[in-house]
Amino acid sequence: MSVTTQTRSAQKTLAPWMRSLVGGLVTALPVILIGIVILLFAPAYLVRVAFAAYVNLLIVLGLQIFMGNSMVANLGQGAFVGIGAYSVAILATPVAMKKLSIPDAPFGLADIVLHPALAAGAGLGITGLIAALTGLVIARLSGEAATIVTFSLMMVVHSIFIQWTDLFKGAQAFFGIPQVVGLATAIGAATLATIIARLFKDSASGLHLRASAESLLAARAFGVDVFRLRLLAWILGAVICASGGILYAFFMGTINARAFHFELVMTTLAMLILGGMRTVSGAVFGCIALALLLEAIRSVESGIAVAGFQLPPLLGLSGLAMGAIIVLGMTFRPRGIFVRLELDELLWRLFARRQPRAITEGKPI
Amino acid sequence: MLSVNRLSVHYGPIRALDAASIRIGRGEFVALLGPNGAGKTSLISGIAGLVRAQGRVLFEDREIGALPTEDRVRRGLTMTPEGRHVFANLTVAENLRLGAAIRRDREGVAQDIEKYLGLFPILRERNHQLAGTLSGGEQQMLAIARSMMSRPRLLMLDEPSLGLAPRIVAQMFDYISLLKEAGVTLLVVEQNVMQALKHADRAYVISSGIIRHEGKAEELRSDRRLIDMYLGN
Repeated sequence: MSVTTQTRSAQKTLAPWMRSLVGGLVTALPVILIGIVILLFAPAYLVRVAFAAYVNLLIVLGLQIFMGNSMVANLGQGAFVGIGAYSVAILATPVAMKKLSIPDAPFGLADIVLHPALAAGAGLGITGLIAALTGLVIARLSGEAATIVTFSLMMVVHSIFIQWTDLFKGAQAFFGIPQVVGLATAIGAATLATIIARLFKDSASGLHLRASAESLLAARAFGVDVFRLRLLAWILGAVICASGGILYAFFMGTINARAFHFELVMTTLAMLILGGMRTVSGAVFGCIALALLLEAIRSVESGIAVAGFQLPPLLGLSGLAMGAIIVLGMTFRPRGIFVRLELDELLWRLFARRQPRAITEGKPI
Repeated sequence: MLSVNRLSVHYGPIRALDAASIRIGRGEFVALLGPNGAGKTSLISGIAGLVRAQGRVLFEDREIGALPTEDRVRRGLTMTPEGRHVFANLTVAENLRLGAAIRRDREGVAQDIEKYLGLFPILRERNHQLAGTLSGGEQQMLAIARSMMSRPRLLMLDEPSLGLAPRIVAQMFDYISLLKEAGVTLLVVEQNVMQALKHADRAYVISSGIIRHEGKAEELRSDRRLIDMYLGN
Protein backbone atom coordinates (compact mmCIF):
# COMPACT_ATOMS: atom_id res chain seq x y z
CA MET A 1 0.00 0.00 0.00
CA SER A 2 1.42 3.39 -0.91
CA VAL A 3 1.83 6.17 1.58
CA THR A 4 -0.77 8.32 -0.11
CA THR A 5 -3.43 5.68 0.29
CA GLN A 6 -2.25 5.07 3.84
CA THR A 7 -2.57 8.74 4.70
CA ARG A 8 -5.90 8.83 2.93
CA SER A 9 -7.16 5.97 5.05
CA ALA A 10 -5.71 7.68 8.13
CA GLN A 11 -7.62 10.80 7.12
CA LYS A 12 -10.70 8.70 6.60
CA THR A 13 -10.72 7.52 10.20
CA LEU A 14 -11.56 11.09 11.23
CA ALA A 15 -15.06 12.33 10.55
CA PRO A 16 -15.00 15.22 8.04
CA TRP A 17 -16.04 17.81 10.62
CA MET A 18 -13.31 16.58 12.98
CA ARG A 19 -10.78 17.07 10.20
CA SER A 20 -12.04 20.62 9.69
CA LEU A 21 -11.88 21.24 13.43
CA VAL A 22 -8.26 20.07 13.59
CA GLY A 23 -7.50 22.08 10.45
CA GLY A 24 -9.04 25.18 12.00
CA LEU A 25 -6.97 24.70 15.16
CA VAL A 26 -3.76 24.32 13.13
CA THR A 27 -4.61 27.52 11.26
CA ALA A 28 -5.34 29.31 14.52
CA LEU A 29 -2.12 28.11 16.16
CA PRO A 30 -0.04 31.16 15.13
CA VAL A 31 -2.86 33.37 16.40
CA ILE A 32 -2.73 31.68 19.79
CA LEU A 33 1.08 31.56 20.04
CA ILE A 34 1.63 35.19 19.05
CA GLY A 35 -1.07 36.17 21.52
CA ILE A 36 0.54 34.24 24.39
CA VAL A 37 3.96 35.78 23.70
CA ILE A 38 2.44 39.27 23.75
CA LEU A 39 0.46 38.53 26.92
CA LEU A 40 3.61 37.34 28.71
CA PHE A 41 6.28 39.72 27.51
CA ALA A 42 4.92 42.77 25.69
CA PRO A 43 4.60 46.29 27.14
CA ALA A 44 1.13 47.79 27.60
CA TYR A 45 1.13 49.88 24.41
CA LEU A 46 1.89 46.79 22.34
CA VAL A 47 -1.01 44.96 23.99
CA ARG A 48 -3.30 47.71 22.70
CA VAL A 49 -1.85 47.41 19.20
CA ALA A 50 -2.24 43.64 19.32
CA PHE A 51 -5.82 43.94 20.56
CA ALA A 52 -6.71 46.10 17.55
CA ALA A 53 -5.10 43.48 15.29
CA TYR A 54 -7.21 40.71 16.85
CA VAL A 55 -10.35 42.76 16.33
CA ASN A 56 -9.31 43.20 12.70
CA LEU A 57 -8.81 39.46 12.44
CA LEU A 58 -12.38 38.87 13.61
CA ILE A 59 -13.62 41.29 10.95
CA VAL A 60 -11.48 39.71 8.21
CA LEU A 61 -12.83 36.28 9.18
CA GLY A 62 -16.39 37.60 9.06
CA LEU A 63 -15.63 38.97 5.64
CA GLN A 64 -14.08 35.68 4.48
CA ILE A 65 -17.16 33.68 5.45
CA PHE A 66 -19.36 35.64 3.05
CA MET A 67 -16.96 36.85 0.37
CA GLY A 68 -14.58 33.90 0.29
CA ASN A 69 -17.30 31.32 -0.18
CA SER A 70 -19.84 33.18 -2.31
CA MET A 71 -17.26 35.38 -4.12
CA VAL A 72 -19.75 38.23 -3.88
CA ALA A 73 -18.15 41.55 -2.93
CA ASN A 74 -18.82 43.05 0.49
CA LEU A 75 -17.78 46.55 1.48
CA GLY A 76 -20.35 46.81 4.24
CA GLN A 77 -18.60 45.04 7.11
CA GLY A 78 -17.96 48.36 8.90
CA ALA A 79 -21.70 48.70 9.46
CA PHE A 80 -21.92 45.49 11.47
CA VAL A 81 -18.77 46.20 13.47
CA GLY A 82 -20.33 49.55 14.38
CA ILE A 83 -23.73 48.08 15.20
CA GLY A 84 -22.08 45.57 17.54
CA ALA A 85 -19.97 48.23 19.23
CA TYR A 86 -22.80 50.76 19.66
CA SER A 87 -25.20 48.08 20.90
CA VAL A 88 -23.02 47.28 23.88
CA ALA A 89 -22.12 50.94 24.37
CA ILE A 90 -25.79 51.85 24.69
CA LEU A 91 -26.84 48.79 26.69
CA ALA A 92 -23.91 48.21 29.04
CA THR A 93 -22.76 51.74 29.92
CA PRO A 94 -23.75 52.63 33.52
CA VAL A 95 -26.86 54.80 33.87
CA ALA A 96 -24.98 57.61 35.62
CA MET A 97 -22.66 57.83 32.64
CA LYS A 98 -25.51 57.78 30.15
CA LYS A 99 -27.30 60.59 32.00
CA LEU A 100 -24.28 62.65 31.05
CA SER A 101 -23.72 61.45 27.51
CA ILE A 102 -27.11 60.45 26.07
CA PRO A 103 -29.75 61.82 28.48
CA ASP A 104 -32.37 62.08 25.71
CA ALA A 105 -31.97 58.54 24.37
CA PRO A 106 -35.26 57.13 23.03
CA PHE A 107 -37.11 54.03 24.35
CA GLY A 108 -35.89 54.76 27.89
CA LEU A 109 -32.45 53.46 26.95
CA ALA A 110 -30.79 56.06 29.17
CA ASP A 111 -32.36 54.44 32.22
CA ILE A 112 -31.41 50.82 31.75
CA VAL A 113 -28.16 48.96 32.02
CA LEU A 114 -27.43 45.34 31.16
CA HIS A 115 -24.67 43.05 32.35
CA PRO A 116 -21.86 43.24 29.74
CA ALA A 117 -22.34 39.58 28.75
CA LEU A 118 -26.06 40.13 28.26
CA ALA A 119 -25.38 43.32 26.31
CA ALA A 120 -22.92 41.42 24.09
CA GLY A 121 -25.57 38.75 23.44
CA ALA A 122 -28.09 41.46 22.59
CA GLY A 123 -25.53 43.12 20.30
CA LEU A 124 -25.00 39.89 18.41
CA GLY A 125 -28.76 39.33 18.20
CA ILE A 126 -29.46 42.85 16.93
CA THR A 127 -26.72 42.46 14.32
CA GLY A 128 -28.09 39.10 13.26
CA LEU A 129 -31.55 40.61 12.84
CA ILE A 130 -30.32 43.58 10.81
CA ALA A 131 -28.14 41.27 8.72
CA ALA A 132 -31.13 39.00 8.05
CA LEU A 133 -33.19 41.96 6.82
CA THR A 134 -30.45 43.50 4.66
CA GLY A 135 -29.46 40.01 3.48
CA LEU A 136 -32.89 39.56 1.89
CA VAL A 137 -31.72 42.07 -0.71
CA ILE A 138 -27.99 41.44 -0.77
CA ALA A 139 -28.25 37.65 -1.14
CA ARG A 140 -29.90 38.22 -4.53
CA LEU A 141 -27.07 40.38 -5.85
CA SER A 142 -23.67 39.85 -7.38
CA GLY A 143 -21.07 41.80 -9.32
CA GLU A 144 -21.20 45.59 -9.31
CA ALA A 145 -24.63 45.66 -7.69
CA ALA A 146 -23.33 43.86 -4.61
CA THR A 147 -20.34 46.21 -4.37
CA ILE A 148 -22.54 49.29 -4.53
CA VAL A 149 -25.30 48.04 -2.23
CA THR A 150 -22.96 46.77 0.50
CA PHE A 151 -20.97 50.00 0.38
CA SER A 152 -24.20 52.02 0.57
CA LEU A 153 -25.26 49.95 3.57
CA MET A 154 -22.13 51.06 5.39
CA MET A 155 -22.73 54.70 4.39
CA VAL A 156 -26.35 54.57 5.58
CA VAL A 157 -25.44 53.04 8.93
CA HIS A 158 -22.61 55.54 9.35
CA SER A 159 -24.97 58.43 8.64
CA ILE A 160 -27.36 57.12 11.27
CA PHE A 161 -24.53 56.98 13.83
CA ILE A 162 -23.57 60.56 12.97
CA GLN A 163 -27.07 62.08 12.66
CA TRP A 164 -29.00 60.36 15.44
CA THR A 165 -27.15 62.22 18.17
CA ASP A 166 -29.64 61.39 20.95
CA LEU A 167 -28.74 57.72 20.69
CA PHE A 168 -25.25 57.52 19.19
CA LYS A 169 -23.75 60.87 20.25
CA GLY A 170 -23.12 61.77 16.63
CA ALA A 171 -19.58 62.59 15.67
CA GLN A 172 -18.52 62.77 19.32
CA ALA A 173 -16.94 59.89 21.15
CA PHE A 174 -19.23 57.58 23.14
CA PHE A 175 -17.44 57.14 26.48
CA GLY A 176 -17.89 55.33 29.74
CA ILE A 177 -18.36 51.82 28.32
CA PRO A 178 -17.26 49.29 30.95
CA GLN A 179 -13.78 48.00 30.13
CA VAL A 180 -14.34 44.36 30.86
CA VAL A 181 -12.25 42.43 28.34
CA GLY A 182 -8.54 41.96 27.84
CA LEU A 183 -6.31 40.57 25.14
CA ALA A 184 -6.89 36.98 26.28
CA THR A 185 -10.60 37.27 25.41
CA ALA A 186 -9.74 38.61 21.97
CA ILE A 187 -7.34 35.72 21.37
CA GLY A 188 -10.03 33.26 22.41
CA ALA A 189 -12.64 34.90 20.19
CA ALA A 190 -10.29 35.00 17.19
CA THR A 191 -9.45 31.32 17.65
CA LEU A 192 -13.10 30.42 17.88
CA ALA A 193 -13.94 32.49 14.80
CA THR A 194 -11.13 30.84 12.84
CA ILE A 195 -12.55 27.43 13.65
CA ILE A 196 -16.11 28.52 12.84
CA ALA A 197 -14.99 29.95 9.48
CA ARG A 198 -13.21 26.70 8.64
CA LEU A 199 -16.13 24.50 9.71
CA PHE A 200 -18.45 26.61 7.58
CA LYS A 201 -16.16 26.49 4.54
CA ASP A 202 -15.89 22.70 4.68
CA SER A 203 -19.57 22.11 5.51
CA ALA A 204 -22.13 21.16 2.89
CA SER A 205 -23.40 24.76 2.94
CA GLY A 206 -19.88 26.09 2.36
CA LEU A 207 -19.25 23.65 -0.46
CA HIS A 208 -22.53 24.48 -2.16
CA LEU A 209 -21.82 28.17 -1.86
CA ARG A 210 -18.32 27.76 -3.32
CA ALA A 211 -19.83 25.82 -6.22
CA SER A 212 -22.36 28.60 -6.83
CA ALA A 213 -19.45 31.06 -7.02
CA GLU A 214 -18.10 29.09 -9.96
CA SER A 215 -21.31 28.50 -11.81
CA LEU A 216 -24.53 29.86 -10.43
CA LEU A 217 -26.58 27.98 -13.01
CA ALA A 218 -24.91 24.60 -12.50
CA ALA A 219 -25.19 24.87 -8.73
CA ARG A 220 -28.88 25.72 -8.99
CA ALA A 221 -29.42 22.83 -11.38
CA PHE A 222 -28.25 20.45 -8.64
CA GLY A 223 -30.77 21.87 -6.25
CA VAL A 224 -28.53 24.31 -4.39
CA ASP A 225 -30.64 27.09 -2.88
CA VAL A 226 -28.09 29.84 -3.53
CA PHE A 227 -30.20 32.61 -1.99
CA ARG A 228 -30.63 30.77 1.31
CA LEU A 229 -26.93 29.91 1.57
CA ARG A 230 -25.78 33.44 0.76
CA LEU A 231 -28.18 34.76 3.37
CA LEU A 232 -26.79 32.29 5.92
CA ALA A 233 -23.18 33.28 5.16
CA TRP A 234 -24.11 36.97 5.24
CA ILE A 235 -25.67 36.68 8.70
CA LEU A 236 -22.86 34.51 10.11
CA GLY A 237 -20.22 36.86 8.69
CA ALA A 238 -22.03 39.92 10.07
CA VAL A 239 -22.32 38.42 13.55
CA ILE A 240 -18.58 37.65 13.62
CA CYS A 241 -17.80 41.20 12.45
CA ALA A 242 -20.07 42.49 15.22
CA SER A 243 -18.21 40.40 17.81
CA GLY A 244 -15.10 42.34 16.78
CA GLY A 245 -16.93 45.61 17.39
CA ILE A 246 -18.24 44.43 20.76
CA LEU A 247 -14.78 43.43 21.99
CA TYR A 248 -13.36 46.71 20.72
CA ALA A 249 -15.93 48.73 22.68
CA PHE A 250 -15.43 46.67 25.85
CA PHE A 251 -11.65 47.05 25.62
CA MET A 252 -11.32 50.72 24.69
CA GLY A 253 -14.19 52.05 26.81
CA THR A 254 -14.68 54.78 24.21
CA ILE A 255 -15.85 54.48 20.62
CA ASN A 256 -16.34 56.82 17.72
CA ALA A 257 -18.29 56.29 14.50
CA ARG A 258 -15.20 57.14 12.46
CA ALA A 259 -13.60 53.89 13.61
CA PHE A 260 -16.21 51.88 11.66
CA HIS A 261 -15.89 53.74 8.41
CA PHE A 262 -13.91 53.70 5.21
CA GLU A 263 -10.46 53.08 6.67
CA LEU A 264 -11.60 49.97 8.54
CA VAL A 265 -13.27 48.60 5.41
CA MET A 266 -10.17 49.16 3.28
CA THR A 267 -7.75 47.77 5.86
CA THR A 268 -9.67 44.55 6.43
CA LEU A 269 -10.35 44.10 2.72
CA ALA A 270 -6.64 44.55 1.96
CA MET A 271 -5.84 41.92 4.59
CA LEU A 272 -8.23 39.43 3.02
CA ILE A 273 -7.04 40.08 -0.54
CA LEU A 274 -3.39 39.83 0.51
CA GLY A 275 -3.92 36.53 2.28
CA GLY A 276 -6.27 34.95 -0.24
CA MET A 277 -10.01 35.27 0.23
CA ARG A 278 -10.90 31.69 -0.67
CA THR A 279 -9.18 30.25 2.40
CA VAL A 280 -9.48 30.80 6.12
CA SER A 281 -5.68 30.56 6.34
CA GLY A 282 -5.56 33.45 3.86
CA ALA A 283 -7.71 35.58 6.17
CA VAL A 284 -5.50 34.75 9.17
CA PHE A 285 -2.12 35.25 7.52
CA GLY A 286 -3.17 38.27 5.49
CA CYS A 287 -4.23 39.88 8.74
CA ILE A 288 -1.01 38.97 10.56
CA ALA A 289 1.20 40.11 7.67
CA LEU A 290 -0.53 43.44 7.10
CA ALA A 291 -0.84 44.18 10.83
CA LEU A 292 2.92 43.70 11.27
CA LEU A 293 3.70 45.72 8.17
CA LEU A 294 1.42 48.61 9.09
CA GLU A 295 2.86 48.74 12.60
CA ALA A 296 6.38 48.86 11.20
CA ILE A 297 5.38 51.64 8.82
CA ARG A 298 3.68 53.59 11.60
CA SER A 299 6.90 53.64 13.58
CA VAL A 300 8.70 55.09 10.56
CA GLU A 301 5.83 57.47 9.94
CA SER A 302 6.35 59.37 13.19
CA GLY A 303 10.01 59.91 12.31
CA ILE A 304 12.79 57.69 13.57
CA ALA A 305 16.52 58.06 14.08
CA VAL A 306 18.68 55.98 11.76
CA ALA A 307 22.38 55.83 12.69
CA GLY A 308 22.14 59.05 14.67
CA PHE A 309 20.29 60.84 11.87
CA GLN A 310 16.75 61.99 12.66
CA LEU A 311 14.28 61.30 9.82
CA PRO A 312 11.39 63.74 9.47
CA PRO A 313 7.83 62.50 10.17
CA LEU A 314 6.27 60.96 7.06
CA LEU A 315 2.58 61.44 7.73
CA GLY A 316 0.21 59.46 5.52
CA LEU A 317 2.79 56.80 4.77
CA SER A 318 0.61 53.99 6.13
CA GLY A 319 -2.29 54.94 3.85
CA LEU A 320 0.09 55.05 0.91
CA ALA A 321 1.57 51.71 1.86
CA MET A 322 -1.84 50.09 2.11
CA GLY A 323 -2.80 51.32 -1.35
CA ALA A 324 0.51 50.02 -2.67
CA ILE A 325 -0.08 46.61 -1.06
CA ILE A 326 -3.51 46.28 -2.67
CA VAL A 327 -2.16 47.28 -6.09
CA LEU A 328 0.94 45.06 -5.87
CA GLY A 329 -1.00 42.14 -4.44
CA MET A 330 -3.69 42.33 -7.10
CA THR A 331 -1.02 42.58 -9.82
CA PHE A 332 1.42 39.89 -8.79
CA ARG A 333 -0.64 37.53 -6.69
CA PRO A 334 -4.28 38.29 -7.44
CA ARG A 335 -5.54 35.24 -5.57
CA GLY A 336 -3.46 35.91 -2.46
CA ILE A 337 -0.96 33.90 -0.45
CA PHE A 338 -3.21 30.93 0.33
CA VAL A 339 -4.97 30.39 -2.98
CA ARG A 340 -6.86 27.15 -2.44
CA LEU A 341 -5.33 24.90 0.20
CA GLU A 342 -5.41 25.67 3.90
CA LEU A 343 -2.28 25.70 6.05
CA ASP A 344 -2.92 22.20 7.44
CA GLU A 345 -3.56 20.83 3.95
CA LEU A 346 -0.29 22.29 2.68
CA LEU A 347 1.62 20.89 5.68
CA TRP A 348 0.01 17.53 5.08
CA ARG A 349 1.14 17.51 1.45
CA LEU A 350 4.64 18.58 2.38
CA PHE A 351 4.79 15.73 4.86
CA ALA A 352 3.56 13.21 2.29
CA ARG A 353 6.04 14.43 -0.33
CA ARG A 354 8.93 13.95 2.07
CA GLN A 355 8.71 10.22 1.45
CA PRO A 356 8.88 9.91 -2.34
CA ARG A 357 10.19 6.35 -2.42
CA ALA A 358 7.38 4.96 -0.38
CA ILE A 359 4.84 6.72 -2.56
CA THR A 360 6.09 5.17 -5.78
CA GLU A 361 6.42 1.69 -4.29
CA GLY A 362 3.95 -0.80 -5.66
CA LYS A 363 2.58 1.71 -8.09
CA PRO A 364 3.93 1.49 -11.62
CA ILE A 365 4.42 4.82 -13.30
CA MET B 1 -43.34 9.96 -16.80
CA LEU B 2 -42.89 13.53 -18.00
CA SER B 3 -45.51 15.46 -19.85
CA VAL B 4 -44.85 19.01 -20.95
CA ASN B 5 -47.84 20.90 -22.25
CA ARG B 6 -47.50 24.12 -24.24
CA LEU B 7 -44.40 25.39 -22.45
CA SER B 8 -43.20 28.86 -23.45
CA VAL B 9 -40.08 30.73 -22.39
CA HIS B 10 -39.42 34.42 -22.97
CA TYR B 11 -36.26 36.40 -22.43
CA GLY B 12 -37.59 39.95 -22.36
CA PRO B 13 -39.25 40.52 -25.73
CA ILE B 14 -37.59 37.46 -27.28
CA ARG B 15 -39.62 34.29 -27.45
CA ALA B 16 -37.14 31.43 -27.08
CA LEU B 17 -39.70 28.66 -26.79
CA ASP B 18 -43.20 28.72 -28.18
CA ALA B 19 -45.82 26.38 -26.73
CA ALA B 20 -43.67 23.26 -26.85
CA SER B 21 -45.26 19.96 -25.86
CA ILE B 22 -43.35 16.74 -25.30
CA ARG B 23 -43.95 13.43 -23.53
CA ILE B 24 -41.43 10.97 -22.21
CA GLY B 25 -42.28 7.47 -21.01
CA ARG B 26 -40.58 5.66 -18.15
CA GLY B 27 -37.19 4.21 -19.14
CA GLU B 28 -37.09 5.97 -22.50
CA PHE B 29 -34.02 7.63 -24.01
CA VAL B 30 -35.28 10.69 -25.86
CA ALA B 31 -33.07 13.00 -27.89
CA LEU B 32 -33.86 16.68 -28.38
CA LEU B 33 -32.33 17.88 -31.63
CA GLY B 34 -32.09 21.21 -33.37
CA PRO B 35 -29.72 23.90 -34.58
CA ASN B 36 -28.06 26.55 -32.42
CA GLY B 37 -30.55 28.91 -30.81
CA ALA B 38 -33.49 26.60 -31.55
CA GLY B 39 -34.72 26.64 -27.94
CA LYS B 40 -33.40 23.27 -26.76
CA THR B 41 -31.71 24.61 -23.66
CA SER B 42 -34.68 26.85 -22.92
CA LEU B 43 -36.99 23.83 -22.99
CA ILE B 44 -34.99 21.73 -20.54
CA SER B 45 -34.18 24.76 -18.38
CA GLY B 46 -37.91 25.44 -18.22
CA ILE B 47 -38.57 21.82 -17.22
CA ALA B 48 -35.85 22.06 -14.54
CA GLY B 49 -37.24 25.35 -13.24
CA LEU B 50 -34.06 27.30 -13.98
CA VAL B 51 -35.90 29.84 -16.13
CA ARG B 52 -39.39 31.27 -15.80
CA ALA B 53 -41.78 29.45 -18.11
CA GLN B 54 -45.49 29.45 -18.92
CA GLY B 55 -47.30 26.18 -19.47
CA ARG B 56 -47.74 22.89 -17.66
CA VAL B 57 -45.06 20.45 -16.57
CA LEU B 58 -46.32 17.14 -15.22
CA PHE B 59 -43.75 14.86 -13.66
CA GLU B 60 -45.05 11.45 -12.56
CA ASP B 61 -48.61 12.81 -12.86
CA ARG B 62 -47.93 15.78 -10.58
CA GLU B 63 -47.86 19.41 -11.66
CA ILE B 64 -44.37 20.72 -10.84
CA GLY B 65 -44.43 23.94 -12.88
CA ALA B 66 -44.58 26.15 -9.79
CA LEU B 67 -41.90 24.36 -7.76
CA PRO B 68 -38.39 25.75 -7.26
CA THR B 69 -35.54 23.81 -8.88
CA GLU B 70 -34.42 22.12 -5.67
CA ASP B 71 -37.86 20.58 -5.14
CA ARG B 72 -37.87 19.25 -8.70
CA VAL B 73 -34.41 17.74 -8.11
CA ARG B 74 -35.72 16.22 -4.89
CA ARG B 75 -38.50 14.53 -6.85
CA GLY B 76 -35.98 12.93 -9.17
CA LEU B 77 -35.73 15.42 -12.04
CA THR B 78 -32.12 16.52 -12.60
CA MET B 79 -30.51 18.60 -15.32
CA THR B 80 -26.80 18.77 -16.14
CA PRO B 81 -26.11 22.15 -17.70
CA GLU B 82 -24.46 22.63 -21.05
CA GLY B 83 -21.25 20.84 -21.91
CA ARG B 84 -19.22 19.33 -19.12
CA HIS B 85 -19.70 22.14 -16.65
CA VAL B 86 -17.79 20.51 -13.83
CA PHE B 87 -16.82 22.87 -11.03
CA ALA B 88 -13.21 23.37 -12.13
CA ASN B 89 -11.94 24.84 -8.86
CA LEU B 90 -13.43 22.08 -6.72
CA THR B 91 -11.91 18.62 -6.38
CA VAL B 92 -13.40 15.51 -7.98
CA ALA B 93 -14.62 14.42 -4.54
CA GLU B 94 -16.26 17.79 -3.91
CA ASN B 95 -17.94 17.72 -7.32
CA LEU B 96 -19.46 14.35 -6.49
CA ARG B 97 -20.64 15.60 -3.07
CA LEU B 98 -22.23 18.52 -4.84
CA GLY B 99 -24.27 16.26 -7.05
CA ALA B 100 -25.91 15.02 -3.85
CA ALA B 101 -26.73 18.58 -2.72
CA ILE B 102 -30.35 17.76 -1.98
CA ARG B 103 -29.72 14.46 -0.20
CA ARG B 104 -29.59 14.08 3.58
CA ASP B 105 -28.66 10.37 3.86
CA ARG B 106 -24.90 10.59 4.45
CA GLU B 107 -24.31 6.86 4.31
CA GLY B 108 -26.22 6.50 1.07
CA VAL B 109 -24.21 9.35 -0.44
CA ALA B 110 -20.94 7.72 0.64
CA GLN B 111 -22.07 4.41 -0.86
CA ASP B 112 -23.01 6.08 -4.13
CA ILE B 113 -19.67 7.87 -4.32
CA GLU B 114 -17.95 4.49 -3.90
CA LYS B 115 -20.20 3.04 -6.59
CA TYR B 116 -19.31 5.65 -9.20
CA LEU B 117 -15.63 5.65 -8.29
CA GLY B 118 -15.81 1.90 -8.96
CA LEU B 119 -17.52 2.48 -12.29
CA PHE B 120 -15.00 5.16 -13.32
CA PRO B 121 -11.69 4.09 -11.71
CA ILE B 122 -9.84 7.07 -13.19
CA LEU B 123 -11.97 9.33 -11.00
CA ARG B 124 -10.84 7.45 -7.90
CA GLU B 125 -7.22 8.07 -8.91
CA ARG B 126 -7.95 11.76 -9.36
CA ASN B 127 -10.28 12.05 -6.37
CA HIS B 128 -8.38 14.90 -4.69
CA GLN B 129 -7.41 16.76 -7.85
CA LEU B 130 -9.16 19.85 -9.09
CA ALA B 131 -11.78 18.90 -11.66
CA GLY B 132 -10.34 21.56 -13.98
CA THR B 133 -7.15 19.52 -14.34
CA LEU B 134 -8.96 16.46 -15.77
CA SER B 135 -9.02 15.69 -19.49
CA GLY B 136 -12.19 16.33 -21.48
CA GLY B 137 -13.30 12.70 -21.33
CA GLU B 138 -12.58 12.46 -17.61
CA GLN B 139 -14.55 15.61 -16.95
CA GLN B 140 -17.47 14.13 -18.84
CA MET B 141 -17.32 10.97 -16.73
CA LEU B 142 -17.30 13.18 -13.66
CA ALA B 143 -20.25 15.19 -14.95
CA ILE B 144 -22.26 12.01 -15.51
CA ALA B 145 -21.32 10.48 -12.16
CA ARG B 146 -22.16 13.77 -10.45
CA SER B 147 -25.57 13.91 -12.13
CA MET B 148 -26.29 10.40 -10.89
CA MET B 149 -25.46 11.41 -7.29
CA SER B 150 -28.87 13.01 -6.94
CA ARG B 151 -30.41 9.61 -7.82
CA PRO B 152 -32.47 11.05 -10.67
CA ARG B 153 -35.32 9.14 -12.20
CA LEU B 154 -35.29 11.50 -15.17
CA LEU B 155 -31.93 12.96 -16.20
CA MET B 156 -31.67 15.81 -18.68
CA LEU B 157 -28.24 16.28 -20.27
CA ASP B 158 -27.49 19.46 -22.19
CA GLU B 159 -25.02 18.84 -25.04
CA PRO B 160 -22.93 16.20 -23.29
CA SER B 161 -20.65 15.80 -26.35
CA LEU B 162 -19.77 19.50 -26.59
CA GLY B 163 -16.04 19.96 -27.13
CA LEU B 164 -15.14 16.27 -26.95
CA ALA B 165 -12.93 14.38 -29.43
CA PRO B 166 -14.96 12.03 -31.71
CA ARG B 167 -13.58 8.88 -30.08
CA ILE B 168 -14.54 10.17 -26.65
CA VAL B 169 -18.01 11.13 -27.90
CA ALA B 170 -18.74 7.51 -28.82
CA GLN B 171 -17.50 6.37 -25.42
CA MET B 172 -19.62 8.96 -23.70
CA PHE B 173 -22.77 7.75 -25.45
CA ASP B 174 -21.90 4.24 -24.29
CA TYR B 175 -21.88 5.55 -20.71
CA ILE B 176 -25.20 7.27 -21.25
CA SER B 177 -26.63 4.02 -22.54
CA LEU B 178 -25.42 2.36 -19.34
CA LEU B 179 -27.55 4.84 -17.40
CA LYS B 180 -30.56 3.84 -19.46
CA GLU B 181 -29.90 0.19 -18.68
CA ALA B 182 -29.74 1.13 -15.01
CA GLY B 183 -33.31 2.36 -15.33
CA VAL B 184 -32.82 6.11 -15.70
CA THR B 185 -35.12 7.92 -18.09
CA LEU B 186 -33.12 10.28 -20.32
CA LEU B 187 -33.74 13.49 -22.21
CA VAL B 188 -30.56 14.43 -24.06
CA VAL B 189 -30.01 17.66 -25.96
CA GLU B 190 -27.56 17.12 -28.80
CA GLN B 191 -26.07 18.72 -31.86
CA ASN B 192 -24.26 15.51 -32.72
CA VAL B 193 -27.36 14.20 -34.49
CA MET B 194 -26.11 10.85 -35.75
CA GLN B 195 -24.60 9.70 -32.46
CA ALA B 196 -27.72 10.76 -30.61
CA LEU B 197 -30.06 8.98 -33.02
CA LYS B 198 -27.93 5.86 -32.87
CA HIS B 199 -28.54 5.48 -29.12
CA ALA B 200 -31.89 7.14 -28.52
CA ASP B 201 -35.33 5.50 -28.71
CA ARG B 202 -37.16 8.60 -29.86
CA ALA B 203 -36.36 12.16 -30.82
CA TYR B 204 -37.94 15.59 -31.03
CA VAL B 205 -36.74 18.12 -33.58
CA ILE B 206 -37.01 21.75 -32.57
CA SER B 207 -36.27 24.92 -34.49
CA SER B 208 -37.03 28.61 -33.83
CA GLY B 209 -38.64 27.68 -30.54
CA ILE B 210 -41.21 25.35 -32.08
CA ILE B 211 -41.30 21.53 -31.98
CA ARG B 212 -41.25 20.58 -35.67
CA HIS B 213 -41.19 16.83 -35.57
CA GLU B 214 -41.38 13.84 -33.29
CA GLY B 215 -40.59 10.25 -34.13
CA LYS B 216 -38.66 7.05 -33.61
CA ALA B 217 -34.90 7.55 -33.74
CA GLU B 218 -34.34 4.97 -36.46
CA GLU B 219 -37.00 6.51 -38.72
CA LEU B 220 -35.53 9.97 -38.24
CA ARG B 221 -32.09 8.67 -39.06
CA SER B 222 -33.19 7.63 -42.51
CA ASP B 223 -35.23 10.79 -43.16
CA ARG B 224 -32.62 12.81 -45.06
CA ARG B 225 -35.06 15.54 -45.95
CA LEU B 226 -35.89 16.31 -42.34
CA ILE B 227 -32.28 16.18 -41.25
CA ASP B 228 -31.25 18.54 -44.06
CA MET B 229 -34.10 20.91 -43.33
CA TYR B 230 -33.62 21.35 -39.61
CA LEU B 231 -30.37 19.83 -38.56
CA GLY B 232 -28.08 20.95 -41.32
CA ASN B 233 -26.04 17.82 -42.03
